[in-house]
Amino acid sequence: MKTSKLEPEDTRLSALLRESRESPSLPPHFREYVWRRIEHGEKPDSLPAGFAWLDGLAARLLRPGFALACLTAMLVAGALLGVAQGTNLAKQEAQARYLAAVAPNPLH
Amino acid sequence: MRRSLIALLGLLAVGVVIFAGSFQLARRACVASMANSTDDLEWLRQEFHLGAAEMARIRHLHEGYLPKCGEMCERIAAKKHELEAALTGATNVPPAAEQALAELGSLRAQCQGQMLKHFAEVSRAMPPEQGRRYLAEMQRLTLGFHEQVEQSMSGSAGHAHGHH
Repeated sequence: MKTSKLEPEDTRLSALLRESRESPSLPPHFREYVWRRIEHGEKPDSLPAGFAWLDGLAARLLRPGFALACLTAMLVAGALLGVAQGTNLAKQEAQARYLAAVAPNPLH
Repeated sequence: MRRSLIALLGLLAVGVVIFAGSFQLARRACVASMANSTDDLEWLRQEFHLGAAEMARIRHLHEGYLPKCGEMCERIAAKKHELEAALTGATNVPPAAEQALAELGSLRAQCQGQMLKHFAEVSRAMPPEQGRRYLAEMQRLTLGFHEQVEQSMSGSAGHAHGHH
């Protein structure tokens, strides 16, 4: 039996193997498509131009101290407005009670 | 950037919830603490900044007025029933109904006169400036509505007459 040793660096063998392997044909405009994908991938996750100020605003507002101050201001403003409206409502109820006592039905 | 937007919207939502919650709580607490009084005269004390002595005088006047007011209301209610009875089944206005109407009008006028006299007495029991304000306010509240109705009626009547 005849044995022959195959060398991995055999250039002739490599060329034969490359020719025997069928490589599928690439779709048209493949290179452009790949470059477009790369370009899209490189773009940061951003809003349209003109909204860059939003990043600055978010960075400023989301500082813990500033955010806490804003929320405290909302709490105080809500409470003050609630007290003002509650006082007004209570006053109206008290007025209606007095009117009902002294003038049950002004027109009868 | 998108994360910033979400965080900002989240902060805004938390702010709105805190604002609405504190508003509701404060309003309810305020109404509950101020409106739990069963005193009919509490409004006078609050609105016209009256002291204990003035309130005592006004309470005396108020307690003297209430029975008269109640009696007048009963007489008016009885006259209204009389008028309704006179009109029941009638296709025109019978003389008894006309008489009841006239008496009802007279009773109402007496009632309003008595009410205005009471307001004047109460106003005199207050400091002068507060008294004037009270009298103007009570006239607006009790007679103003009547005037509004009359004005609206005369306005609409004039408009209707213009077309006829």
